[in-house]
Amino acid sequence: MTGTVNLREVILGILMEVTEGEAYSHIVLRDTLEKYQYLPKRDRAFVSRVTEGTLENLIQIDYIIECFSKVPIHNMKPLIRNLLRMSIYQLKYMDAIPDSAVVNEAVRLAQKRGFYNLKGFVNGVLRAAAREMDEIVYPSRTEDPVEYLSVSYSMPQWILRKWLDQFSFEEVERICESFRQESPVTVRLRTDRVSREEIIASMKEEGCVVTQHPYLDYAVRISGYNYLQALTAFRQGWIYVQDVSSMLVAEIAAPNWGDYIIDVCAAPGGKSTHLADKLKGSGYVEARDKSEDKVERMQENIDRLGIINMVAALRDAAAFDQESFHKADIVLCDVPCSGLGVIGKKQDIRYRMNATRQEELIRIQRRILSVSQNYVKPGGVLIYSTCTIGMDENQMNLKYFLDNFPFHLESIDRYLPEQLRCRTSAGGYLQLLPGIHETDGFFLARLKRNHE
Amino acid sequence: MALRKIREQGDEILTKKCREVKEMTPRLRELVADMLDTMYEAEGVGLAAPQVGVLKRIVVIDIGEGPIVLVNPRITHQDGEQEGNEGCLSVPGKAGVVVRPNHVIVEAFNEEMKPVTVEGEELLARALCHELDHLEGVMYTSKVKGDLFDTRIEEEESEEEA
Repeated sequence: MTGTVNLREVILGILMEVTEGEAYSHIVLRDTLEKYQYLPKRDRAFVSRVTEGTLENLIQIDYIIECFSKVPIHNMKPLIRNLLRMSIYQLKYMDAIPDSAVVNEAVRLAQKRGFYNLKGFVNGVLRAAAREMDEIVYPSRTEDPVEYLSVSYSMPQWILRKWLDQFSFEEVERICESFRQESPVTVRLRTDRVSREEIIASMKEEGCVVTQHPYLDYAVRISGYNYLQALTAFRQGWIYVQDVSSMLVAEIAAPNWGDYIIDVCAAPGGKSTHLADKLKGSGYVEARDKSEDKVERMQENIDRLGIINMVAALRDAAAFDQESFHKADIVLCDVPCSGLGVIGKKQDIRYRMNATRQEELIRIQRRILSVSQNYVKPGGVLIYSTCTIGMDENQMNLKYFLDNFPFHLESIDRYLPEQLRCRTSAGGYLQLLPGIHETDGFFLARLKRNHE
Repeated sequence: MALRKIREQGDEILTKKCREVKEMTPRLRELVADMLDTMYEAEGVGLAAPQVGVLKRIVVIDIGEGPIVLVNPRITHQDGEQEGNEGCLSVPGKAGVVVRPNHVIVEAFNEEMKPVTVEGEELLARALCHELDHLEGVMYTSKVKGDLFDTRIEEEESEEEA
């Protein structure tokens, strides 16, 4: 007989790669499911659900494990640690699986993977957890708010502390809550060749549910489709998948007919194509990136969308390009960032990031800003954006920039939908917060170069 | 270590009933060792003698908990039911759903011809049933519920970037 696939062992393998290594869960999961394509859909769904669920609830799960284990989670053997994590997830969140099955499978897997002597430990912790799951005392919302948020929403405390310095407890809780919600896919309708009505009709015809997004008339949310890439509207290049926060970048950049625009960190190219669309075939968008692979894919995308006033170019944003000095009407600095605004879409960002890595990113962001500001014409505009939440990579970088370069912030109110206008947007920047705004977490600012 | 050629479905020998082992001979010892080598090499969890072209009642099994060698095995008890995927080294690249008992007890002799009893649940029960069927000339393909499916990775269309 051929070996059969032990689904729990597959899940354990993914968790080991993600939590003990550097791999991103969505990539490891995709590669794994591709390898086990022949498995029935139900089995594949089980692998996805347990992997994603365990990672989404990791801090809470570790808290539960430590309620029942004398050994602290970080002193355990990595394999045992992850075996307990996936088992606790099943015990707490998957009622359809009998507790005894979860415990027995875990014990068997521990033994199979050479931890015969830890069988008793695994058995003991999981049996106790199964028995007393409902009696666990969680941190108090009022007495220990940081610990409460951390355990309830599995958010690292260092991130929460920074946010609580800047936002109210209720706001932070709404942000955390939003990361647990499934967010619908948003697409930008490209109405240069086909009308908005025709695009929507085509998507509806193919089974999509289409709803209008409240902020921009050309943004709609879609659901109900089977495979996005198979939609006529996608294949024809009539729609572009993009969060509304990213669309707002082109809105506040507000290009004029014939403008020359440089996007210094462009891949995968969404904001650049949007700007090129806004130029209606005039002017020129240079979409730069430092990865050859990404530039190639970006160029393919440009060709697929049939855009004539845009080109992908291989160039590192951190290296000065003499040729571009004072040439651009608009420079887009959508810098690499900690990504804390898109945790809802990439669950493991929060565990990868730490204060040291963030400092390193801030250095890179400032380097890119210092180099890229050179390309802006006198009177031209630099748009700064990140997909993160928090002062350090956003407001503090703006302050650094204004202290060092001849630019000033310019109000973005006239470019924004009414619901988003606020005190800071009148001042020239906006922090979007998921759960509070109808977008991902995102930051954007409009900086104008002084006329000399 | 010697690998033997695994016979594939279509080979007449897989449909024949095997003969009892009367005594353990050096040749049969060699056969058992080769069967284990062949099974591990093919990353299988079980192999029966007819699958390497020998009509003797011998099977080897290892579901990841150590090798089991069974001579003249017979099921003395079975209960429960499990439904799951099953594949066979003699039917490469395919699998199918087979219903099996969830718990079986097998009495047999080991390679020293000492009597042994093996009790198995789930995967081990499935492997025991599957291999013992081979000794009767029965392939799992005759017991599959629904269709056989391909277990080889298909070429997937490269995903376009959204």
